[in-house]
Amino acid sequence: MIYLDNAATTYPKPRSVQTAVVQAFQRWGANPGRAGHAMAMASSQEMYRCRNIAADFFHAPGPECVSFTLNCTGAINYVLKGLLKPGDHVVTSCIEHNAVMRPLHELEKTGVTFTEVQIFPGDNDKTVDAFRYAFQENTRLVICTHASNVWGIRLPVERIAALAHQYEIPVAVDCAQSAGVLPIDMADSKIDYLCIAGHKGLYGPMGTGMLITPYGSELHTLIEGGTGTESMLEEQPSGAPERLESGTQNMPGIAGLRAGMEFVQRHGVSKIHSYEISLLQMLYSQLSKIDRVHLYLPMPDTRYFAPVLSFNIDGMQSEEAGSRLNGYGIALRAGLHCAPEAHRFMGTLECGAVRVCPSVFTTEADIWRLVDAVKRILMKKSGAGH
Amino acid sequence: MGKPVIEIGSITYAMKGQNILARHGIRSSVERIYRSQNINGCGYGIYVSDDAKIAEHILRQAGIPVLGYAKRGSET
Repeated sequence: MIYLDNAATTYPKPRSVQTAVVQAFQRWGANPGRAGHAMAMASSQEMYRCRNIAADFFHAPGPECVSFTLNCTGAINYVLKGLLKPGDHVVTSCIEHNAVMRPLHELEKTGVTFTEVQIFPGDNDKTVDAFRYAFQENTRLVICTHASNVWGIRLPVERIAALAHQYEIPVAVDCAQSAGVLPIDMADSKIDYLCIAGHKGLYGPMGTGMLITPYGSELHTLIEGGTGTESMLEEQPSGAPERLESGTQNMPGIAGLRAGMEFVQRHGVSKIHSYEISLLQMLYSQLSKIDRVHLYLPMPDTRYFAPVLSFNIDGMQSEEAGSRLNGYGIALRAGLHCAPEAHRFMGTLECGAVRVCPSVFTTEADIWRLVDAVKRILMKKSGAGH
Repeated sequence: MGKPVIEIGSITYAMKGQNILARHGIRSSVERIYRSQNINGCGYGIYVSDDAKIAEHILRQAGIPVLGYAKRGSET
């Protein structure tokens, strides 16, 4: 199998991540942050280690700013539902994943309004201006993707944050596709809320994510319960990160996430980005020579793209193309990618698209196999007289 | 009163505090605290074998919330 569905989750996971998960079962099997016995403290230390590495990785003020979630979607929900009140207005982009759009639609029922801003791939000035014109008196949050999970389009989130802060509007960024492949510096950008998937570009296990913010204590909680501290309090404790982590945490996942971030740090984020973009450039170059393959954007580059590329085969629904590629041992996702707005933006809402996303483990040979498979599918289609 | 444990509450802040003290050359351990009024029942603290007041000062300077002192291994 050639796995090119890394935008969904990375596979394989590095050996060090697998080892860390197994170690967690063997050495850190006690519930962290609950008891005082030796193994509970060891689990707690491992959990703290992950927070510390995450704070360092994203240049957050400190480990106390790192709360663990199940996934990026959980982190996004925490920000939107923890922050917004009826009458508030939100500015977002027109290419967001359902992780942003569905909570916004749900909040709309309670009197929160939102504006989807037109973005301009390759023209960051126009994109930033579009955000500016969307601000209203009651705008309380900007939330947008760092990079589209369908098209790889990279939004200038640092500039958007600088702009929003001029109007004292906080900014949340959906880093599902960017953490581990694009540079994210919280100290430099002053982004207020980073919503992170642990299991994509950070190579952690599924079931991990993070909300990184210095403002965790100010968010209303979505889930209340045991935090291992202040047990006499009837209300949820006020201090982050524990305030946002009710119940038992995914200890094996967190151990794996720690190892995943260390793996990415060893390789280097910009090296990973350059490598994966070079693979997609190779793919783009070959696909653009095939008549009946439809590419929607210019050649990807590191400045304007994360390493995600989608295409279609003329005369074939994307799901059929994906299924046929699966027959050649190529694993990727076709359809709407839980991002109908991104498809609406590109005019692919009816047909969807076939999405390719490499990882550090993808090779040039894998890309050549994909190109070859696309050619064979087209040859068979022509031969069948369609 | 026996050797006191500096009450922090949150285990994250307690571990952060331990790291800060280590950078100042002060050895310490993070310990579970039970039934403390200062931390609404239970939480974590930092045990420092000597010069707890100096450690407290360092922690406060670093923004670590110090909630009080507990006796090691017993109720306050």
